[in-house]
Amino acid sequence: MSGMGPMYPKEKPDHPYVQYSTGGYLFGNYNSLFCAGCGYGIIGHIFTRVFEDEKIEPKLFPLIIGIGCYTQLVTLVHHTSQKFFALHGRAPAVATGMKMANPKLKPIIFSGDGDCFGIGGNHFIHICRRNLDCVIFIFNNSIYGMTGGQAAPTTLYGAESTTTPYKMFENRIDGVKLALAAGATYIARTTVAHPRTLMKYFRKALKHKGTSVIEVITPCVTYFGSKNLDRLGVEYLDIIGEKMDNTGRMLDWIKRISVRINQAKFMTEEELFNNYIIGEFRYEPDKPEYSEEYAKIQKIAMEEK
Amino acid sequence: MNKTNIKNNKRYLPEGKYVMMGNVAMAEGALAAGLGFFGGYPITPSTEVIEHLSKRLLEVGGSCMQMEDELASINSVIGASLVGAKAMTATSGPGLSLMVETISMAANLEIPFVLCDVQRIGPGSHGPVTAPHHNDLGLIRFAGHGEFQVIALAPMNCQELFDLTIEAFNLAETYRCPVFILSDAYLGHLHEPIYIPPKEEIITRVINRELPQDYTKKFSYKDDSTGEYIIPKPPIIGTDYFPLMTLHLPHNYEGLPGVNALQFMEMLIEKIKTNIDKISITDEYKLDDVDIVIIAYGLPVRACYHAVDIARKEGIKVGIFRLVTVWPFPDEKVKKVVKNARAIIVPELNYTGFIAEQVERVTKLETPIVKIPKVGELHHPDDILKVIREVSK
Repeated sequence: MSGMGPMYPKEKPDHPYVQYSTGGYLFGNYNSLFCAGCGYGIIGHIFTRVFEDEKIEPKLFPLIIGIGCYTQLVTLVHHTSQKFFALHGRAPAVATGMKMANPKLKPIIFSGDGDCFGIGGNHFIHICRRNLDCVIFIFNNSIYGMTGGQAAPTTLYGAESTTTPYKMFENRIDGVKLALAAGATYIARTTVAHPRTLMKYFRKALKHKGTSVIEVITPCVTYFGSKNLDRLGVEYLDIIGEKMDNTGRMLDWIKRISVRINQAKFMTEEELFNNYIIGEFRYEPDKPEYSEEYAKIQKIAMEEK
Repeated sequence: MNKTNIKNNKRYLPEGKYVMMGNVAMAEGALAAGLGFFGGYPITPSTEVIEHLSKRLLEVGGSCMQMEDELASINSVIGASLVGAKAMTATSGPGLSLMVETISMAANLEIPFVLCDVQRIGPGSHGPVTAPHHNDLGLIRFAGHGEFQVIALAPMNCQELFDLTIEAFNLAETYRCPVFILSDAYLGHLHEPIYIPPKEEIITRVINRELPQDYTKKFSYKDDSTGEYIIPKPPIIGTDYFPLMTLHLPHNYEGLPGVNALQFMEMLIEKIKTNIDKISITDEYKLDDVDIVIIAYGLPVRACYHAVDIARKEGIKVGIFRLVTVWPFPDEKVKKVVKNARAIIVPELNYTGFIAEQVERVTKLETPIVKIPKVGELHHPDDILKVIREVSK
């Protein structure tokens, strides 16, 4: 199959879950299309692992993929999942249509920071507002990777990118705060440096009835790391001065700027500047879910003479 | 697969005569065709569609969503269509401009849907929003980036809005391309008597979404042995009949890449054009032994009928060739009709003359063409009669 990169390696890898990936299982191609050091491989593997371990019925969980580097996750996710590629930012709207036309389904959305907070911000707000039953993954690498390293709405203060060659000085969007305000009922943030937590959150989201938002902080070594120093915001923090141009250093950096939600309660806003708070922010399983409420209205309408 | 209570009796109005607004007649036509999902955003002059369906579609167990914008409404329609519901949206010019990216994607992946465009004056988003202007024909003809062929139907009264909407859904299911209904601000708000046929008759007219026997081929392709274009049934998420990938790029009948892009574009266009005899609906009025042919579509046709009747009494040999299907343009039929004509008159509710351009192309400018442009107001029969008299001299 063309468009899937070089065949590498030809023999089946030892990894227990890679063999269930779409590329591997169906085409015998176990490679990934991501740069060395990218976090998306971890995400693809976790998705496949949960799908395989939980024996999820793929026909009930259609996967809607937005546009970004993570679109290439299609070769890594479980081979049975039904995948639809939405337009840039429009995945939540497609999910709404699917769920409302067939309420048995629970769409899973893959989207990025540019996809979900940039071009598709409006759709993200409104799917959260409705509390429509779905899982939204937001892969936040703080940059537009696929187009070559432009600033995103989530780019950290002081970071360098191709469209902010001096420094990023705009305020960034905090996706979790946005989801909290919009009304999603399960909201969590974690990083690819905490894969077990990510798996836990994903399992919980699959069982949750309502909009689940999981923001995943993931490294972009090629465009973000190679341009930026080990610590961002040099005016506010100590300079270490090494470029984050390899995976180890970048994952280490992500761990260092991630603050657990319990810790963050005792920290000031200045201390939390340019850091990510990780953990579960909201879990409200009893809030009314949109398609269920809609079905009640439908019933009234159908019985009315 | 969604089975939105097709047996529910509320879906079909009792047989009989009704006085209905154009937009409402269109909405009732969609219900009769088996509508399961409507995603819309209020915009004058199409708002009555979503208002009416907010009540009626719920009564039959369907979903009528007021989305956050037009981008969301067309994308939700795509999502609903993917899971097997018959889906549509209604909008006007500014909304259509927002939707074209998705229309292009839907054309590539051959996702069927119906879009009712209740046209109003453009360009721009302010101004006389309740005045008609057939200005979206050009936009619809090439609706989006990439190359593909769409189908557009132009009704001229409320009865046709009902009937052609059913036809539009059938075309979308059969040919898997974007299908448009070209209404306009006056037609949408016009109240007219319409006849709703009995339920049994409507059911025989409707093509339902079904799963095919053969699950291997999911997208249209050219059969190399016969040279025909084969259009499989639309795939449905939640069933086994769904492709492995839905890449927005030239793909083969399985949805996988590696297809010559030129051949793919050819397929998207020719799958419609080779079936033009089955798709194209036209109407002829007093077209035997004519000197002057009027080619028209939509509301202006009604003024033409009146003008032609008067002109015929004066001894002028004039007739009407009416396009019910505007796109794809029926080249061969037009060629045949204008073969012996001395002149062609094209009254249109726009300045550009989108159809006049097509007629010019087909006739290779051998026959003189007189345009009668109007914007924001309808043609009076006298306007057309005046031109007929001048041309016949």
